Amino acid sequence: MRKFWAFLLIAILGLGAWAQVRNGAWVDEVVFQVEPDRAKGLDMLRTGAIDLYWWDIADPDLAKIIVSELNYARLAGVYNELTFNPYGPEFKDGRLNPFSDPAIREAVNWLVDRDYIVSEFYGGLTAVPRYFCICPFFPDYARYADVARALELKYAHNPEKAKAVIFEEMQKLGAEFKDGKWYYKGQPVELIFLIRVEDQRRQIGDYVATLFEQLGFTVTRLYKTSREASPIWLRGDPAEGKWHVYTGGWITTVVSRSEADNFGYFYTPRGSGSPLWQAYKPSPEFDEVAEKLWTSSYTTLEERRELMTKALELSMKDSVRVWLVNQLSYQAYAKNVQVAADLAGGISGAYLWGLTVGFVDPATGQRLVGGTLRTASSNILVDPWNPIAGSNWIFDMTPIRATADWGTVYDPYTGLLWPQRIERAEVTVKEGLPVSKTLDWVDLRFAPEIKVPEDAWVDWDAVNQRFITAKEKYPEGLTALTKCVVYYPKDLWSIPLHDGNTLSLGDFIMGMILQFDRAKEESPIYDESYVPNFESFMEYFRGVRIISTDPLVIETYSDLWYLDAEWIVTTWFPYYSQGPGFWHNLAIGIKAEAAKELAFSADKAKKLGVDWMNYIAGPSLDILAKYLDEAIATNYIPYAPTLGQYVTPEEAATRYANLKAWYEKVGNFWVGSGPFYVAEAKPVEKILVLKRFEKYPDPATKWLRFAEPRIPTAEVSSPAPVLKLGAPWDFQVEVTFKDQPYPLADMDFVTCLLFDAEGNLVYSGRAEAVKDGLFVFSIPSSVTATLPVGPIRLEAVAVSKAVAIPAFAKAEFTAVK
Amino acid sequence: MLENLKRLFSYFSVRSFLLLFTVVVAIYLIIIIANMGGYMDKIKESEIMEQVYNTVRGNPALQRLSPSELRAILDKQIEIAKRQAGLDKPFITRSLEYLIRGITLNFGRAEQMTSDSGSNQVRLILLERLPHTLLLWGTADLLVFFVSVFFALALSRRYGSFIDRLSVSLAPLSTPPVWFYGILLILLFASFLRLLPYGGFVDAPPPSTTLAYVLSVIKHMILPVLSVFIALIFSSLYSWRTFFLIYSSEDYVEMAKAKGLSSRAIERRYILRPTLPPIVTSFAMMMISLWMGGIVTETVFAWPGLGRLLYDAIQHVDTPVIVGSNVIYGYLLAITVLLLDFLYAALDPRVRLGGARRS
Repeated sequence: MRKFWAFLLIAILGLGAWAQVRNGAWVDEVVFQVEPDRAKGLDMLRTGAIDLYWWDIADPDLAKIIVSELNYARLAGVYNELTFNPYGPEFKDGRLNPFSDPAIREAVNWLVDRDYIVSEFYGGLTAVPRYFCICPFFPDYARYADVARALELKYAHNPEKAKAVIFEEMQKLGAEFKDGKWYYKGQPVELIFLIRVEDQRRQIGDYVATLFEQLGFTVTRLYKTSREASPIWLRGDPAEGKWHVYTGGWITTVVSRSEADNFGYFYTPRGSGSPLWQAYKPSPEFDEVAEKLWTSSYTTLEERRELMTKALELSMKDSVRVWLVNQLSYQAYAKNVQVAADLAGGISGAYLWGLTVGFVDPATGQRLVGGTLRTASSNILVDPWNPIAGSNWIFDMTPIRATADWGTVYDPYTGLLWPQRIERAEVTVKEGLPVSKTLDWVDLRFAPEIKVPEDAWVDWDAVNQRFITAKEKYPEGLTALTKCVVYYPKDLWSIPLHDGNTLSLGDFIMGMILQFDRAKEESPIYDESYVPNFESFMEYFRGVRIISTDPLVIETYSDLWYLDAEWIVTTWFPYYSQGPGFWHNLAIGIKAEAAKELAFSADKAKKLGVDWMNYIAGPSLDILAKYLDEAIATNYIPYAPTLGQYVTPEEAATRYANLKAWYEKVGNFWVGSGPFYVAEAKPVEKILVLKRFEKYPDPATKWLRFAEPRIPTAEVSSPAPVLKLGAPWDFQVEVTFKDQPYPLADMDFVTCLLFDAEGNLVYSGRAEAVKDGLFVFSIPSSVTATLPVGPIRLEAVAVSKAVAIPAFAKAEFTAVK
Repeated sequence: MLENLKRLFSYFSVRSFLLLFTVVVAIYLIIIIANMGGYMDKIKESEIMEQVYNTVRGNPALQRLSPSELRAILDKQIEIAKRQAGLDKPFITRSLEYLIRGITLNFGRAEQMTSDSGSNQVRLILLERLPHTLLLWGTADLLVFFVSVFFALALSRRYGSFIDRLSVSLAPLSTPPVWFYGILLILLFASFLRLLPYGGFVDAPPPSTTLAYVLSVIKHMILPVLSVFIALIFSSLYSWRTFFLIYSSEDYVEMAKAKGLSSRAIERRYILRPTLPPIVTSFAMMMISLWMGGIVTETVFAWPGLGRLLYDAIQHVDTPVIVGSNVIYGYLLAITVLLLDFLYAALDPRVRLGGARRS
């Protein structure tokens, strides 16, 4: 018997150890199929026909089912607002436009009840109120939560105030109110509402229209789809007065670390060349602030805070847009599935979904190894896949990301970057730029001047197929605002690719070449559609230099900078805009495009009258196979004058032989180095099968900490329900996650705001950290002595470093003498 | 004889010309309607502008450019996108190009869509989906057609019987559309009983052996075919039964009955024979209607057929695909109508081609 127990113990430990050494993905296989109907997709999930449904769901009734029965990720990247036509006060035909008056637009903030919209039209589940152009779930809101909360209270629903302002302003504009209606020059004041019909904006439009009717306006409601509305509000001349209000909607697919540019984009003519934007006339003060934020013209974080504070206030005064709700949609998955999800883009938007998705034992919550994850989405294999300019559909990018690997990966909950293939990075920034770092893998330095070395590559000579150095192009010398040095580990060259090859320096060099070559007219793969992107790249790119090849160290110079040093890091890891690519499988595509038989981009394909290159299916495969045979026959090394210095003929022969064997095995040319490879692509049946790449080098546990967002919960406790003025007050703020104290190391800060009975901010400050999960906010007696008698509210905003979503808590009490 | 041939040729030429003319007019109308008389260009241009201007947001590299530099880059992007959408030529020119390419069956390349396997050749886009549509709708329609014709024939001979009254009373079951039964059957057999798949063409991942693949396809066809069958069979049965009933009560049928001919012989010689032209017409029309598939039903069952393709093409306003699909339908219809004229003459001696002169 003892032997049996010993054997069992060893077996359990052995299994545990095996699970621990599992590399790459947790599941063996991920199957994608199509189900465009959300209700049906959800039913498939509930009945166990699938394990995950990618298509996000914003319908409140379906959301209720998800919340009560399934696991889910919430996406916060969609938001709705009212866009006003600001032209006026009179349109070309003499009609009055009340929304030309900023005060009337500002008053709409008091007129609309955002809480009502959320509860009535979104079931209280699929939206939260939103007041600003910055997202309440992104870092900028957390940074300035104190300012934002104070403004939110200032602009809280107050219909009487709204009415008073609107009536006063209408009279100033020369309108007359008689028999319950507004008139201007003897005619009723008509408001044309352009109401979108595809989602809850229909109800929102009707609701706001009714509010204006109740104020005496004559409202005409035009119900339009996106397509029908677009020529009217976006391209039409605002002076013609074909519309007054449009129910707008916007989307952000990744967590944005900085939304400072949103003021310039949404409120000033800088944002767009459209006639509507050109009609924007922000106040000179707002315009100046918005411009500084747009061009990042600030040198310290304090200066930025000042600008952001002003911009938030002035944007509410301007209100050419009145923000209403931030939608929350749901991506649902089975109770026994765990996966990382991006706060903005959901699971599809999370670069780490492939590395974190797995089954868990529902009883113990322990991770299970293996299994097939069956998923469905609205679509799959929509457009051809090629790494350079292939499909950009989220339905395709989701599986593509699972086949890829990166130098750095996005933190799905903060938008910061973590090192994946690189070991570390040094970032040097010109003194005076407000750059800071959060994570330890970046070493941030400042320098008075950053000179680009003479031997750095700054451009490409497509005729001679060689890089142009800084010395050749800029003999007078060149400087940059940032310099970044990335250090790869020693074992980089043993990273396996799906097709049996290993990563090599040629893959990095190819990426550098293709950054330039496609934009050069002399190149056989010149693509006009790539030129605008390239031109904007060249606006900030200042040079690149390979310092060491083993281990690989690359130095990049640029004028592009971000607030976060992590974002300045450029890795040059071979991941292109639409997927992973390596020099040998790209070489056959280059040959096919040069021969004008296929083209990487849709635009060039159209121009040449050939097919858009597809690495996984269709007629492209035969053409690519032909060029693979040709490459094998000639042992072809593309861009030989440059790439030939880094790729040996032996490497070329091995690479092509392995690629051919891979094509014969799986029937496609899609090669990555990520945790999954494309095992089957059935485009007509709309089925895609990804299988686990067994040679993936990293342990499956590497990114497991991102399988669940650690969103904090906060609670404030007042020392007593009645507090005495003139005495010091201490409030405790408890911050937890799943009822456990939130570690101080993972906390950023806790800010507290004190409001009087009228909602005016009377005091604010940072709470002091005491221990894990506990903060104390002290208000000195000198402050409490100045406060009014009566009800007082304290609000706490807890901001974590691990998740961009802040936690809010409030306590109400009475102050007495 | 020669005169007959001349008359036949003349009839054939005039009829062909008229049918071709009708097809051309119909196709051009489709082009105009699909593009809202050219207004769709404005819509597409607005969408392009919106997309391009949106790229500025969150892109510091673009934001740090001077307004003129930024404008130049964005304008270029807009120009490229407009060209990609085919908006670099005036609509009137494009509409004539679409028409000429369509009627000469030179469909060329789609403007935005690609085939599932990644080609933008309209021919491939259509051909790729055709087998799935033929398989589903061919099976369902043939089943409905033959079952209803043969049962109706039998019912017409049992007028007033219980089975006849039952079939008449079930006819209103055909009021709901096919997709309604689709959803109902999905709820019952996929969601509740979990016996059959929710939709799709084949299991995911697809079976590796041919036999298993075929069986899987059949399994996926059961619910869509059944929903088509239930939705159409009762009304079809009722129509054919009424149709046959009229012929069953003709004097010559009564005479045959009086002569003591068997029911089978009466059905075959005295009822089916004179009703053959309408049956053939109905069959031919049903066959060509297969080409269009069924938009909603294919969507409900996530079936990769031509119906969904046409829906996508309309959504994208991809005129070459819309034209390609409709031109083929138009030609099939025209050819069928022409052939039916000849077939009527062959099947029914009372029919004369080209208006025979009376002596």
